[in-house]
Order: sequence, then structure tokens, then C-alpha cells
Amino acid sequence: MNIVLIFLISIFSISLFFYGKSKTKTISIKDNIKLNALPKFYGYYLVLWCSIPALVFLLVWSLFEPTIIKSIIIETAANQGAVFNDKNEANLIYEKIKAIHLGTYFGDIDSILKESALAYAKFINLFTNSKVVLIFGIIIASVVYSLKKIRNNNKARDDVEVILKGLLFVSSLIAILTTLGIIFSLLFESIKFFSVINIFDYLFGTNWSPQRAFVRDASSITAAEYEELKDAFGFIPLIAGTSFIAFIAMLVAVPVGLFSGIYMAEYASTKVRRVSKPIIEILAGIPTVVYGFFAALTVGPFFRQVGENLGLTVSSESALAAGLIMGIMIIPYVSSLSDDVINSVPQSLRDGSYAVGATKSETIKQVVIPAALPGIIGSVLLAVSRAIGETMIVVMAAGLAANLTINPLESTTTITTQIVMILVGDQEFDSPKTQSAFALGLTLFIATLVLNYIAQRAVKKYREKYD
Amino acid sequence: MSNIKIKSKNLDVFYGDKQALFDVNLDLNEKEVTALIGPSGCGKSTFIRCINRMNDVIDICKVTGNIEMDGMDINDKNLDVVALREKVGMVFQKPNPFPKSIYDNISYGPKIHGKGETKSELDEIVENSLRKSALWEEVKDRLDEPGTSLSGGQQQRLCIARAISVNPEVILMDEPCSALDPIATAKIEELIDELKKTYTIVIVTHSMAQAVRVSQKTGFFHLGKLIEVGKTEKIFKNPDNKMTQDYITGRFG
Repeated sequence: MNIVLIFLISIFSISLFFYGKSKTKTISIKDNIKLNALPKFYGYYLVLWCSIPALVFLLVWSLFEPTIIKSIIIETAANQGAVFNDKNEANLIYEKIKAIHLGTYFGDIDSILKESALAYAKFINLFTNSKVVLIFGIIIASVVYSLKKIRNNNKARDDVEVILKGLLFVSSLIAILTTLGIIFSLLFESIKFFSVINIFDYLFGTNWSPQRAFVRDASSITAAEYEELKDAFGFIPLIAGTSFIAFIAMLVAVPVGLFSGIYMAEYASTKVRRVSKPIIEILAGIPTVVYGFFAALTVGPFFRQVGENLGLTVSSESALAAGLIMGIMIIPYVSSLSDDVINSVPQSLRDGSYAVGATKSETIKQVVIPAALPGIIGSVLLAVSRAIGETMIVVMAAGLAANLTINPLESTTTITTQIVMILVGDQEFDSPKTQSAFALGLTLFIATLVLNYIAQRAVKKYREKYD
Repeated sequence: MSNIKIKSKNLDVFYGDKQALFDVNLDLNEKEVTALIGPSGCGKSTFIRCINRMNDVIDICKVTGNIEMDGMDINDKNLDVVALREKVGMVFQKPNPFPKSIYDNISYGPKIHGKGETKSELDEIVENSLRKSALWEEVKDRLDEPGTSLSGGQQQRLCIARAISVNPEVILMDEPCSALDPIATAKIEELIDELKKTYTIVIVTHSMAQAVRVSQKTGFFHLGKLIEVGKTEKIFKNPDNKMTQDYITGRFG
């Protein structure tokens, strides 16, 4: 029904565009007046007036219709003698009624349900009809209003500008509100978690084993039980594992990425650059899950094999394998960002250095790199925050057990891996185990936010210096 | 008559397909200031960039013909460019101090050429260079501050000090005052007068008045050709060529 309505509104709007355009043209010729805007603006004006109020109404209606119908139906069912003790049971009855209406309910149907289903059908019908009537009413009213405006040769151009500005504003508002919504949902769930687990036990605990909290109702934990839970949610092993793997990744990505960036910016001829830059950027286009199974199935076992030959015990899910592959994934970010900053170091600095007799590598080492340093640091920090937030590779290639270790050959786990592990499968939403995922998410979010902020400050400071 | 320091013969320069200099024959005298004038894009800068092979930096640039310094062929493929640039310093249109301290800006060149092994030797080079470029009194108490913190005129004198620091024989100046105010310009011109006692100087300028004030010899370029060259006094008072006459009197350019 809604799709048909939207289709009708669109058709109607489009035809109004042509109507408005030709109408104003004829008016201006017939009455010999100068229009305040190009004829097409009058067309846009009609389109916007015809579509926006109707669509907004449709949207609002569709948002509220289900809730209103639901409350009405539950009330009628109650009036007819249906018994339910809490909200969940009421919901269940409502779902049954809906299923009967759609003909997909196969349980016993008593008279109460039957009556309610009929009432439901009635209301649905009523709501749909009134929706259609109201929408057409709105369209007619707004079209009449806008046509009148057009006849008065209003400043359609200005009005169209204002409406378009509004549309763009709403779009950006949606983006911002969504972000805020995500942050708040993280925050509220984390607060629930921290009301059970002391925040200091979380931040400074050295043991992570959330499965201990399984099937415990968070609202009724005794002091003795808390003693046991206290050290189940220690954050230290996770942040240690995350930083460790990110560190290994940086050991790979920073030198290789930076050097290839320097080569691209300073040495490569235009021909080489034109070919090799896209090839490096292809690395950035490989889905992380592909890197993941490459790390888990090829690199991990390979390291174990090599380790065995050397007489070392290497876990097949070693931090080394995960970090190495993650580093390779990050190379293109470091390389293309540092290529950009090195390119924007003014040529005059290089000239100055050449002019006193410096060679190319001396110039790069002592003038270009120091000049580009803030930007390079910024790009490295951005890469670090990517490494910390990266999930797929570590889920597949790093371990699950939270070992507090600095041996790259052992397995460790990361924040992101644990979030995935916690939320996979059936969940009790009031268990501290589940809620801990939100706390982890929040911590991760804050960490990357801080890193990104510092990185952007560094890059910006650098730009100001040379722009 | 002083000795000829640099001698160019049938010098042609191409940027890709475009020829930028046509058959330039120009002699530069030792310990004298030679000014190169002419409208924008006439090849003055291209010419001086041939003297220290700065055109090497540009991939598509090709230089043919002959240019010699003290009888040494500058265009020789086997020439050590580093050694050449040690002898031929350059100051650019826009002050371009490195993003380093004032001290490091000056000591950069000597360090690269292995001069000033000890700290005290380096200190001496820095002080001498700054004194010669008349900047010492202004910056002696803040040698650690970044070179970019100086004013435009001071920055340009810092760049001159940087060029002097490796003890060159020739200093090339590519419109060194075009980004400066009149007071800073006057200081630089004073400095050029002082420097010509020690160095051979070539200055590209758009200011006729500046050419008259600082130079002993002037060359006029137009569309890549050296139209006329001679004593500055003669060029500005009584040029042989009609085009030179028109340019210096402001009829075109």
C-alpha cells in the first residue's frame, strides 16, 4: 500500500513539474510580466510542495500506526476477557491475533482471539483508508496553495533554495543523530554493566573469563558471588593483547608503508607511479575476511611448521601471524597517506637543499621527512586506530583465550575478538557477560576516538604550516 | 677589467618540446654583480639554473651548448654536481628556510660537505655566515628558534647565510627581493654590495632600479634570447638595441 502511495505521489509530482513550468511560461507571455525566477524553478517549487508534506505525513503515520493499533487491540482483547499478567504476555496475544488475521496461526483459536482478530482486521482497514484519504487531502491542499503562490509570481527561486537547504540539513542531522544514538546505547548498556562490576575491577583486573558469569541474573548477585565474578572481567589481558597485535602490525606497516610512500613521492617516475600506486591501493580493497583466512590457514600453520623445525613451540593461532597479516593490510593506508604528505612538502625546500649541494637521500632524510613529520605521525596514528579496531583478521587468526603474554609465538586475544565471542549465539541480555561486550565496545570507541583526534590535530597543524 | 668567471657559449635549453633559451652567449665577471632583466618567462631564471645544474631536478629539461666555470665544463655528464653546488650557491625568489632551528639551517650545508667537524668549528661557520649576511646581531640570542619564526626579510638573509655557509665562489639570486618590503629590500641590496667583494653574484630582478643600484653588468633577455649585454650604466643610459630601450623605459614588459 505504502509503495503504491509513494509511486502515486512521485507520478503526481513529476507531472506537476511540467505543468508548473509551462503554466508560468504562458502566464508570463500572456500577461507580459517578467517572472521572478526561471520557469523551471516554479516546476521545482510545485514538486517540492506536492511531495514533501505528503511524504513526511506518510512517514510519521507509518511510524506510529503499529503502536496505536497494538494498544487498541490489546485493550479490546482485555475488554473481551483475555488474561495476561505482564507486557510480554500481552505482546504474545497481540502476535497471535496478527497471525490469525494473516492466516498463519495454527494453534487453538478461542472466541476471544477470534473476535479480536476481526477487530484487528477492521482497524487495519480503517487506518489504511483514512491514511489514503488524508494523504490525498494533504496533496490537494498543498498543491492548491502552491499553485496560488505561483500565480502571484512569487520568488520561487528563494523558496526552492530554502527547502533544499532544509533537506540537506536533515540529511546531516540524520548522520549525527545516528552516531549519537549508537554512543548512547553503548553508554547505557555499559552503565548497567558497571553497576554490577566495579569499574576498577574491570579496568585493572588481569583475568578475563566472562563465561563464569553465564546464566547469572545481574539484579540478584550476592556479595559472595561478586567475589567470584570480580576477577572474571579484567580488561588488562585484552588491551595488552590488542596493543601487542597492533604493535606487531605497526612493525610491519610503518617501515614498509613509509618507505614505499617515500619511493612513490620522491623517486618513482610518473610511469612507475601510475602503475604501482593503484596496485598498492588494491591491497586496501581486499576484504579483511580474505586476509583473515589467509592468516589462519596459510601464515599461522606456516609459522608453526617453521617453529617446529627450529625447535620452538609456536601456537597455530599466534599473535605473530595475526599481527603480520594485519600489518600487510595496513600498508596501503600508511603508504598513500605519507605519499600525500610528502608530496605536499613545498618543492622550494627541496630546491634549497639541493642548492647547497645535498644529494637526494640527504634532502629526503634531513629536510623532507622532518618537514612532513607531523603528517606522517598523523597517518601512523590513523593506522594504529585501524589496527586496534580491526576485527575479522584477529577473530580468525588470533586466539580466544585471554593470555597475558609478550611472546609473539603464543596466542593472545583482542578486544574485538572478545566482543564477537560474547555476542555470538544465544544471549541473556541482562547477564553481565553480555553487557560486558558493550563496555568493551565503549572502551574501544574511546581509545580510537582519542587516537583519531590526536592524529587529525597533527595533520591539521602540518597543513596550516604550509598552506 | 676583471676576470671572466663563468662563460656560456651557444647555450640552448629545452623543456620537453619547448625551447626556453636560444643560443645564449654570456660572460660573467669575477667579483662583480651581474643583473639579468627582462619580462616574465624570458629565460633569466632558466639561465641561472643552468649555472648550478638545478635544471637537473626537472625531468623534461634538456641543456645543450657550453657553459664553463673557470674553464671547467659545467654540463659535463661526469661532473660531480654536489661539488659544483658547493661552489655555486643559490638564493630563491621566496625565502625557503628549512623547518629547523636558525643554527641548523646554516650548519646544514657545512655538515653535508663534511666541514666543521667539531662543534666549535661549526659554531664559527654559523657565526661567520650570519655576520656576512648581516643577521648575526638580530638572531645571536635565539639560534635555537625555528628559521620560519623570522620575518620575511630576515628569512631571506638567513637563506643568503645558508648559501654562504659552504663558502661558495658564486652566488645566484633569483629575484631575491620580490617577496620583500622596501626596507628589507634595501638591507639585502646593501648586503649584495658587501658580498660582491668576496663572491661573484648573478641576480635576476624585475626591478630596473634594483639592477641599476646593485649591478656592474646587465643582460637583457627577451623570449629566451639574450638581446643585449653590457655595463649597467650603458644599458640603462644608452642601449644599442631598440627593444632594450623600450623595456627599460617601460614601454613593454
